[in-house]
Amino acid sequence: MVFPTVQFAVFFPIVLALSWALMRRQSVWKPFMLAVSFLFYAAADPKFCIMLAGMILGNQAAAVLIHRSDDPRRRKLVVVVAVAADLLTLGVFKYYGFFATEINALLEKGGLGLPLPLAAIALPVGISFITFQAISYTVDVYRRLIEPATTFDVGLYLSFFPHLVAGPIVRAREFIPQLQSPRDPKKVAVGAGVALILIGLVKKVAIADYLAREIVDPVFGVPQAYSAPDAILATYAYAVQIFCDFSGYTDIAIGLALLMGFVFPQNFDRPYRAASFGEFWQRWHMTLSRFLRDFLYIPLGGNRKGKLKTVRNLMITMLLGGLWHGAAWGFVLWGAIHGLALVIEHQFRGKVKLPKPVAWFLVFNIVCLAWIPFRAPDLTLAGSFVSRFADWGPATLWTAPIVILTFLVIGLQLLPARPLDALRVRFEGLHPVALGASMACVILFVAATVSSQGVPPFIYFSF
Amino acid sequence: MPEPPQSDPRQRNRFILDRETGRSIRARDALTCVFVAVILLLLIEGASIRNSGKKMDSGIQRSMVLAVGHPAGWLADQLPLAAAADKLTASLSPDDDLSGGPGGFNSAPVGGGPVQAAGTGAAGGAAAPITADSFDPADLGVKPKPLPALKNLLVTGDSLAQPLDVQAARRLARDGVVTTRDVHLGTGISKTDLVDWGLLSTKQVKDKQPDAVIMFMGANEGFSFPAAGGKSIDCCSAEWAATYATRARSMMNTYRRDGDARVYWLTLPAPRDPARQKVARVVNAAIAVAAQPYRSQVRVIDLTDALTPRGRYRAAMTVGGRETLVRNPDGLHLNEAGAGVALDIVLERLRADFASLG
Repeated sequence: MVFPTVQFAVFFPIVLALSWALMRRQSVWKPFMLAVSFLFYAAADPKFCIMLAGMILGNQAAAVLIHRSDDPRRRKLVVVVAVAADLLTLGVFKYYGFFATEINALLEKGGLGLPLPLAAIALPVGISFITFQAISYTVDVYRRLIEPATTFDVGLYLSFFPHLVAGPIVRAREFIPQLQSPRDPKKVAVGAGVALILIGLVKKVAIADYLAREIVDPVFGVPQAYSAPDAILATYAYAVQIFCDFSGYTDIAIGLALLMGFVFPQNFDRPYRAASFGEFWQRWHMTLSRFLRDFLYIPLGGNRKGKLKTVRNLMITMLLGGLWHGAAWGFVLWGAIHGLALVIEHQFRGKVKLPKPVAWFLVFNIVCLAWIPFRAPDLTLAGSFVSRFADWGPATLWTAPIVILTFLVIGLQLLPARPLDALRVRFEGLHPVALGASMACVILFVAATVSSQGVPPFIYFSF
Repeated sequence: MPEPPQSDPRQRNRFILDRETGRSIRARDALTCVFVAVILLLLIEGASIRNSGKKMDSGIQRSMVLAVGHPAGWLADQLPLAAAADKLTASLSPDDDLSGGPGGFNSAPVGGGPVQAAGTGAAGGAAAPITADSFDPADLGVKPKPLPALKNLLVTGDSLAQPLDVQAARRLARDGVVTTRDVHLGTGISKTDLVDWGLLSTKQVKDKQPDAVIMFMGANEGFSFPAAGGKSIDCCSAEWAATYATRARSMMNTYRRDGDARVYWLTLPAPRDPARQKVARVVNAAIAVAAQPYRSQVRVIDLTDALTPRGRYRAAMTVGGRETLVRNPDGLHLNEAGAGVALDIVLERLRADFASLG
């Protein structure tokens, strides 16, 4: 089920009302919430629910075993097996086809006729997010940062529908404590929740989908039909599209959770104002950044074991971060560009100091260029896209709405936060009836901009 | 308001509630706000909710939407709010309304539609007439009119036409062909709520004047056709196939532009799901019959033989000497490699027709 659809518009008010009605009776509320979350997930394909249930039960069993054991070797063994099982699930669903094809090609080149069987395996929606959250729970129990929760709580943590399919990646120790007692009906950030939902809807439907339809999809689809001006604008437009699409989803997810009394961590903080790559990763997909830092970069040694190992750790982290997005060389290249940029930045830290506008200009443009292999269907087409920058011809897609939207979204991120936040706080202070009326108006406006194709899925649904 | 969870300062986690926020802090306020929005939307867009529900495939989601949509639609029908809202937001809509109107399939139930002239919105519900330009001049012993260079190609259909559409655009760009990709997801010849292909095909031809049309559609077929007297024709009877063929034939007649254009209509490779296989078989039979009068301009591209010999589904096949996946995991759509196989066949036919292609 996608957020900006009629189905969800019918589903959510009913669930919200029942959730608050049942909140005080946790023994009823938890099974209810678990059931509706599974119903939400089953809308994509009921078969995926089996995988989700398996991950809940498997990780819970591992967490209990780890907690009960005092033997460090046994604890380590269980956590390794649990994490390996999670990664294997992810690997089979997400990467099997990619690796089977690549390995078969290699075997063939080496004259070995032992091809791996090919299978068209359906990718469960949001599997990467679910896997990371499952790992976070088991490892946090292993590290004794949290105690095992009840199976219902773990089920709710992994399946809670606002963050189920595309994050934010909420850590077990951030979410499970919120299940320990009923949410207080007198402490609900209604204004903030509504504001986020509306901002998210506008970002996704009115901006991201519009730019995708009008410029990004045509130019990335057939780059050879366009020349430099269109390719340049499409590059910036895609940077805006992916930001609005993904941050729009997490805005809606955080907003829905707030209305239900739950708090999720922030996932985006005006990323295109970053003047360094380190800063970019503190502002872009923040919950993935900290997951990679805590579960990969730091365990690898971080920056504590000398320059060479820091370089290695940064590259491994970013390459795997790229591969996390999907089984394609374009994602690997995207991760490599970011890894390399972080390495260079790390090496020159304190030695070279660029003026802030110059640093911003460099970082912003490299980030936008790195989106090209990320978006292009394959590396050949990414190359073809880049080659258009050298072909100066007419600008066929530079229309006022496209240019204004693209540069407005980038420009707004460069403004100081205070005036915009003040505006939002004023909106959040409106009477609930006025908030509801505003919500209806924005939904009507957004619905009017939807094409006959309907609302395309969020980009991160496939990750 | 709720406190953000306590976080380890080392993590530097940030929460939206780390800053000052609004005054509405009770669950009751949340419900008031959401229900005010819901009531306003039901009063204004009730009919749209009902229509959306009707367009959905059967299942729990459809039942849920229709349970709300039917009463809301009735209520909205009694009020003038929808028309006012439509007027206010009409300029924002990116599309023309193609869900119905004169000349479309929806305006002519089977057994009751007027026959229209060829090339002028002939895609209505009635059978397209056989005109002089339907014949292959060679068959009549007349010197054939040479086809002009292929400049405008239209690739259209439903989700099946992706990613074939973009591949065609890429591969023909080097020949100077401008490809219009006009794919309408979730639509079908028997599913006209969202897009009436009778209307759409006429509009496409009027707007783009394509020299050639590649059509690949059939992922959403199997819906009942409305018949005269409020009855319906259910899939997959011979009567259903005949109605489907009549509609397809009308579209073929529109796309062939009085003989000036060539149409490449792809049949459906067998899907994995047996229920869908039954529909696909009937759709393919209907396409073959529909194209009969226009054989000189409409090419039926048989994908069954190429991708699913003897009608047996397969996910992988040998492409370029290597075993390759050709279907998506849904067992219905072609993936990039599969679309490439289909496109190779289409391009071969295109090259045979248009000497301008290298």
